[in-house]
Amino acid sequence: MIQVQHLTKHYEDLHRGTFAAVDGVSFTVGSGEIFGLLGPNGAGKTTVLRILSTVLSPTSGIANVAGHDVVNDPAEVRRRIGFVSNNTAMYDRMTAWEMVEYFGRLHGMTPATLSERIETLFTQLRMNDFRDVPGGKMSTGMKQKVSIARAMVHDPPVLIFDEATLGLDVMVARNLLSVIRDLRDCGKCLIFSTHIMSEVEKLCDRIAIMHQGRILDSGTLEALRGRHGEQDFEELFFGLLSKHEQGELRSHGSELNERGVIS
Amino acid sequence: MKQWAIERIESAKEKRLAAKMAGKPRMSAVWLIFMREMRDQLRDRRTLFTIAVLPMLLYPLVGTLLLQIVQFTHQHSASVCVIGTENLRDAPPLVGEDCFDETFSSDAEQLRVVTYAWKDIITTQTVEDRATEWVRTGAFDCVVLVPPSFASSPDRLHDSEASVRVLYNVASDQSMVARQRVSTLLGEWRSGWIRDRLSRSGIDVDAIEPFKMADIDIAPERTREAALWSKLLPFIMLIWAMTGAFYPAIDLVAGEKERGTLETLLCSPALRSEIVLGKLATVTSFSMMTAILNATSMLITSSFVFSHIGLGAAENSFGAPPIIPMLWLLVALVPLSALFSALALAVAAMARSSKEGQYYLMPLMMVTLPLVMLPMLPGTTLTTGTSLIPVTGMFLMVRALVEGQYALALWHFPLVAIVMVACLMMAAKWAHRQFEDESVLFGDSDQWELRNWVRHLWRDRQLVATPAQGVACGAIILVALFFGKLAVTEMPGDFRGIAKLILMPQIGMILAPTLLMATVLTTSLRTSLRIRMPHWPTLPLAVLLGIALHPLYVSMASWITYMYPVSEQAAAAMKPFAEHLRSAPLMSVLFLMALLPAVCEELAFRGFIFGGLNRENSFTRNRTAMRAILVSAVMFGISHGVLQQSLAATVMGLLLGVLAWKTGSVLPCILLHFTNNALSVSLETIATSNWGGAAMMFRMTSEGPEYQPLWVLGSGIIALILFWWFATLRSKPVEAAIERFDTDTPLVDPSARLTGC
Repeated sequence: MIQVQHLTKHYEDLHRGTFAAVDGVSFTVGSGEIFGLLGPNGAGKTTVLRILSTVLSPTSGIANVAGHDVVNDPAEVRRRIGFVSNNTAMYDRMTAWEMVEYFGRLHGMTPATLSERIETLFTQLRMNDFRDVPGGKMSTGMKQKVSIARAMVHDPPVLIFDEATLGLDVMVARNLLSVIRDLRDCGKCLIFSTHIMSEVEKLCDRIAIMHQGRILDSGTLEALRGRHGEQDFEELFFGLLSKHEQGELRSHGSELNERGVIS
Repeated sequence: MKQWAIERIESAKEKRLAAKMAGKPRMSAVWLIFMREMRDQLRDRRTLFTIAVLPMLLYPLVGTLLLQIVQFTHQHSASVCVIGTENLRDAPPLVGEDCFDETFSSDAEQLRVVTYAWKDIITTQTVEDRATEWVRTGAFDCVVLVPPSFASSPDRLHDSEASVRVLYNVASDQSMVARQRVSTLLGEWRSGWIRDRLSRSGIDVDAIEPFKMADIDIAPERTREAALWSKLLPFIMLIWAMTGAFYPAIDLVAGEKERGTLETLLCSPALRSEIVLGKLATVTSFSMMTAILNATSMLITSSFVFSHIGLGAAENSFGAPPIIPMLWLLVALVPLSALFSALALAVAAMARSSKEGQYYLMPLMMVTLPLVMLPMLPGTTLTTGTSLIPVTGMFLMVRALVEGQYALALWHFPLVAIVMVACLMMAAKWAHRQFEDESVLFGDSDQWELRNWVRHLWRDRQLVATPAQGVACGAIILVALFFGKLAVTEMPGDFRGIAKLILMPQIGMILAPTLLMATVLTTSLRTSLRIRMPHWPTLPLAVLLGIALHPLYVSMASWITYMYPVSEQAAAAMKPFAEHLRSAPLMSVLFLMALLPAVCEELAFRGFIFGGLNRENSFTRNRTAMRAILVSAVMFGISHGVLQQSLAATVMGLLLGVLAWKTGSVLPCILLHFTNNALSVSLETIATSNWGGAAMMFRMTSEGPEYQPLWVLGSGIIALILFWWFATLRSKPVEAAIERFDTDTPLVDPSARLTGC
């Protein structure tokens, strides 16, 4: 469902000059799979996901989402994705119901199917008790639920979660993870970025570890453990990062990237 | 088989239709976004307060206050002190008890008078000093001094000591009013005295006044009342339209950015054009609502106030506003609101937060205010010239409509409409482009620091300037020229002075900043100034184009001076300048007026600035080239200082820009510029020479030599052909080819990879 090849994104920056936020990233995600992008802040995860959701265009490389190219066919891509960002974007003066309805209408759904769909979603996500609360008065957890309902309203085959658990309390975050797992079981293609290792361990089928715009390594949890001879995932992650920072991995970077694609 | 073929055709048709529709905004989506934004804004208490509650409360409140103040000023009478009443013995009565004599008709009762004898006032200070002190401190609004010599002088008329003096203070409005009334009174008093004397010496009083005079205002009542309001109300309405546009625009773009909702909206299937149109419609609606509500509230309040204070009866120009003609204002309001909304939306898109958005209001206001103020200036009327000025033309047309001059308004309507539509389209396009620019939408907000920035400028130097550096260079040149002009206090008297006057700005203010910026900010002086050998035939053809274009250029320049006449003052100031040049040796004039400007201005405008603007992403080459041509031409135009020259230079700048774009070099531009200027300065020499062709090309007029009309036509055709040849050249996008990153990573064949998945 998602194919990404040699994706690169350059930015102009006052401090660093021109720098690559995303540097030759390649990966694929199939349907019925949760793909985790793991990396510290500033690793380029959000940039990758923004490129996938067509709001940014790549400097070079190819990204294909649900059979459509993000550069040539952005409108078609946007029809087939649901994007949940970390800032739980919600209009202050709009109720939960109106918000979800608005995006459903933007997706061109007819009023009848739309209200049916929203009813289902609101029941599924247990949102019925705040369906008429305006965004300004919602808690972070409520907002995040609205965000998810908004992203799922048109039943997209691909869902993108950008640090979606950021700022949520344990309960809500747990709920969110279970929702994501349910979506996987429905055969959706999910891509999930985070910097929290435990979430990745619990949730993701395959993982890519990103640092400074590059994918250091990727594969299933077991494959990664086996490859680096490290059972503790946190140790594995930090080991990989520090190795990269010491520059030991720099020369092998491209080779590992290739392996990341193949795995 | 056949069925299958038909199906294929059908699906191909559908696909073609879909492809055709792709990227076009759908009305349904625009409507959806518009409705949501409207609802969102109407739910906002602050918005409602500014657009509806404030005007409804503000104007009645101000009106009531005004009524109170007016009542207060009516009751307040000016206090006048008359010193030296004892010196008025032989004169007709001037002052009575506490007021001026009752025989005076005008306003006498509004003046409170205190009288003193001259000698009562003298203390250690003189009378004059005390009186001055009184007026200055406001103890009296006005003091009338009748000196002792008024009584004693044998010749009052010629004795300056004996004159009656009125002391007043120009800094105080009350004092000015009092002085006005006192002088009228004193005039009346003197007239009465004259009549007395004449009749006593047996002369018929009527002899000094053979007839009466009356001036009558023939303007119909409607125009008279509309005169003030047609100036004032558009201005107020426009200010409200601007404010009404800006705050929703900030909320709709910068506010959404801040809350993160813009990103989710951009991820939805709504196209950027639909988002922009929906938001634009919302902002326009609010701008119009604000303006209409404010104007209506103001009209109602002012009619009420004016009918109460009855000011309208006394001074005809300031009556209550006529309501019906004001409806014409609505005609102007729709496009102007849309224009401001588009501008506000585009500007607000640059802000990362609502707070930052507020900072951008001021510059936008500053840019648009002159256009709004211009129609308010006395003497500005609707002409072909003024109707070409955006916003101003629109308002002058509406003013003509309000005043009932329908024929005039109708005559200029097409021009005004074209200008308006063009502005509107440009503004909407700008807003749309802002929404497609990811650096505008997702620009990171890292701290700006001078040291970092300077380091960045030096570290990231490239072969060619960046667009920002190009614009900065232009701005520096324009500002330097402006101050340079201020520094010139007088016209030089000789040729050397003139030479200095031309050399200074050309070398010091145009060439020097360009060279400095090119050296410091780029790695290659030659590339950044676009000095490179073009395809060789372009060079002689550029000269030829210069010759062929010149008659057209001259005609255009004279048409411009006809449309926007040069003020007599400016023309008089330029005259000695032209005479000195005429008497100077041709070679030095050619150097000063042709070669020097051609080299300096072209290196700056078609070199550094054009090169900077003509780069950036390689796919949209045409668009950036258009921008480079337009911006460099406008800057080139402004650098000429005088409006009439600027307009002609801007048109010339556009042509030069096309040349610069198509040939990829500054050299043809220098040649064309030189040829054009050289012909301009040597026109008279050529025409008066005994060269045979001169008579064929020129005819002499009182203004000097002029091209024969036939020659203008012929050379115009040649110029057109030559220009067409230049325009069909394949452009040399040297700047676009400069890639900042070498993508040496070989790309994997995508099809192989995708099938593998």
